[in-house]
Amino acid sequence: MADKKLTVAEILAAARKADTQGSGAPTAKEEASSPSEPSAPPSGESAEAAPAAPSAPAKGTPPKKAAAGGGRPSVAEMLAMARAGKQGGEAAEAPVAKPAAKPAVPAAKAASPAKKEAAAAKSAPIDTQSILSAARKGTKPGPMTKAEAEAKAATAVGDAAKKAKAKEAIVVPPMPVKPGYAKPGTAKAGKEQVGERRAFLFGMSALAVGFTALSASFAAWTFASIRFMFPNILREPPSRFSVGTPDKFPAGQVEERFKAQFGVWIVNTEYNGQQQIVALRTVCTHLGCTPNWLEAEQKFKCPCHGSGFYKDGINFEGPAPRPLERYAIQFASDGSIEVDKSRMFQEEMGQWNDPACYIPV
Amino acid sequence: MHGLSPQQFTETVSSFLVPYYVSLAVMNGIAALWLWKVPKPTSTIRLFGMAVPSSLVWAAVAVGYLVLAAFSLGGQSLMPQVPQAFRTAVNERTGPVIYTVGTTVLLVVLYLFRAWFVKPTVAWTVWNLMLLFLGLSMPDPNFFAIVAKPDNVPIVALVFLLAFFTWLATERAVENDRRMDAGEPPLEKLDDEKVLVWPDLVYIELICMVALTALLFFWAMWLQAPLEEPASSVKTPNPSKAPWYFLGLQEMLVYYDPWMAGVVLPSLIIVGLMAIPYIDFNKLGNGYYTIKQRKFAYIVFQLGFLELWVTLIVLGTLLRGPNWNFFGPYEYWDAHKVEALNNVNLSEYFWQWWLGKSLPAVPKLEWMLTALPTWISGWLQPMSQFVAILFTRELIGTLSLLFYFIALPPLMALTVFRKFYERMGFIRYMVLANLLLFMASLPIKMILRWSFNLKYLVSIPEYFFNF
Repeated sequence: MADKKLTVAEILAAARKADTQGSGAPTAKEEASSPSEPSAPPSGESAEAAPAAPSAPAKGTPPKKAAAGGGRPSVAEMLAMARAGKQGGEAAEAPVAKPAAKPAVPAAKAASPAKKEAAAAKSAPIDTQSILSAARKGTKPGPMTKAEAEAKAATAVGDAAKKAKAKEAIVVPPMPVKPGYAKPGTAKAGKEQVGERRAFLFGMSALAVGFTALSASFAAWTFASIRFMFPNILREPPSRFSVGTPDKFPAGQVEERFKAQFGVWIVNTEYNGQQQIVALRTVCTHLGCTPNWLEAEQKFKCPCHGSGFYKDGINFEGPAPRPLERYAIQFASDGSIEVDKSRMFQEEMGQWNDPACYIPV
Repeated sequence: MHGLSPQQFTETVSSFLVPYYVSLAVMNGIAALWLWKVPKPTSTIRLFGMAVPSSLVWAAVAVGYLVLAAFSLGGQSLMPQVPQAFRTAVNERTGPVIYTVGTTVLLVVLYLFRAWFVKPTVAWTVWNLMLLFLGLSMPDPNFFAIVAKPDNVPIVALVFLLAFFTWLATERAVENDRRMDAGEPPLEKLDDEKVLVWPDLVYIELICMVALTALLFFWAMWLQAPLEEPASSVKTPNPSKAPWYFLGLQEMLVYYDPWMAGVVLPSLIIVGLMAIPYIDFNKLGNGYYTIKQRKFAYIVFQLGFLELWVTLIVLGTLLRGPNWNFFGPYEYWDAHKVEALNNVNLSEYFWQWWLGKSLPAVPKLEWMLTALPTWISGWLQPMSQFVAILFTRELIGTLSLLFYFIALPPLMALTVFRKFYERMGFIRYMVLANLLLFMASLPIKMILRWSFNLKYLVSIPEYFFNF
């Protein structure tokens, strides 16, 4: 029965019944006594039949006052009432102390006072506070300091005597009879089930909304990131550009004008016995810093690790393993020199012999 | 100090030096007071054959600092400083070789005579001399510009902190070694009372956290953040320095290919540190300071940490200037300083200098491209070409590397590391030997660079492989 799911019709019927009868089924009264509805009780006498019914928020403390709900019950209460009504009289006899008006979880926790005491007596303290206090009292497990060990040894005898006395003084109270609600029962399980299902349903929807929003925003963020990789305008200097006519580059000169914008030195230098105009890339072949042209020393010098290159780009000092790279260079149709950065030529690969990477002068 | 007139510079230095000397005086005054109140075994110092109470000596030192503080107020002419001749000599003599060899020798001396150096009186004297040296060097504009730069303040603090902590640990270790030689337990065993993590340790950590946060606040208020000009992809600052804790790596990059010094060796450092618990078979020295019982571990660690990491950081921070040239501590950072660093590969030495030939040509292996299908020749041709270069042009370097990494470990196992090999077994020993050899390759390459201008032992720029 407990496992049986209520239909909407049944719930509604029970709710109406509860509404008309005030507090129809005997157990329905205690449900109405939830603290959310502290209104005047028209049927207080029946609520007293459930003295052990703990209100959900103040778990463990038996409610003294019978604040039976006289006002219109909430939906949650209605549902609980419906279940109580279906369970019939046997639930009324045994004061099933399930404040089903509240979610089932606190109700399950809210053991009867007797049960709680028993549990407290049996189990060791588990929260930080009690562990700490236990540690201070000196009854903690684990390693102990020297001082503690000495103190313990000194007081061991006295403690034993005290303990014996204390043991004598203890009068064991008779074990209270286990009430029906404390026994594992079908009714309790049924009530909890409904609460859990409801919590699951509503919790689920909140979770679903949350996760949907999260995934949506994440997806939007991902798409925006991908979109970012394809900008509408590329502020990139063109890979082909004109640097002027050859007469602007006299022999032995390193032209630095194009370094800032294009990352290129235009050098008129001698390589393998031939005077050439070449375009050197301004990136150190060691770790990619930008070297500086030192006119006084007639060399390119990298500030990061001290690599040095001759005017023609050949490495000679520091850790750079290979010469600077050349870009393709050629005459444009108007007679000016055009550098093409899309092609690079490496000396160590023998590519500097390619006529595309120099203009003979 | 650029942009400051000599007058302004003197005022800046004096505003630093006066509180500096006063705090040194207070430091020594407190020491004197403590020695006077609490008589110690070290409460007398033999001075010129006489036993002088040490409290008196340190009180006199405190007065000396106060005098220095007063002189620091007196302007350029009275400012106490190291003589110009000394500065010039230091600038002329120092270089990477002197610096590295000097720090190594210093560490060896400190290690050998550690029992003397850790004595409180000696250590306190050395400490005072270090601080005095810093104070006396500050009036030099070039020294001040580097040391007082906000970037470099942590490094200067690091030098002193490291000296202190090394002394602290060594002092305990020396005392423990002495006790254990006498058959007594180490100091830490006398007081091995267990304490709780919570609250004992956590409270200490909390207090340290608050104190350090406060220190950082005051630091941030006192020293301006060293911001530079906006970054530009075509203009690299000169000198361009890594964060201070990576300057050891940057110094390593001077001697290695970026792939080696930037990726392989740093990874090996981390892997090697992780491997220490598995390599170490010495069960002694757990939970107390000792040097004698863990000599090998101690020497290897201090060599790697103090010599190959910290002194390289200090070198990179304080002594490397524009174009990564070496500058003496009192030298002006001239961006046009010319240093001959003409580096030559081993293959060039071998073929061109010794044999008087030109370098062997790179084997083209073009027949592979025609004889084999593309999907095979695509990877086989470059690979074969690489191996062919290894054993033709770079033959001598390849052989020396093979000897170093393949033949040396067994040789070491047969000779100096025989006991290690017996204790550790093959695999553990090989890991240890290779890690040691990689560690030793840095100083070896530094020495080769300095003495022979050697660039790379094996240099195959065609395939970005240089060692």
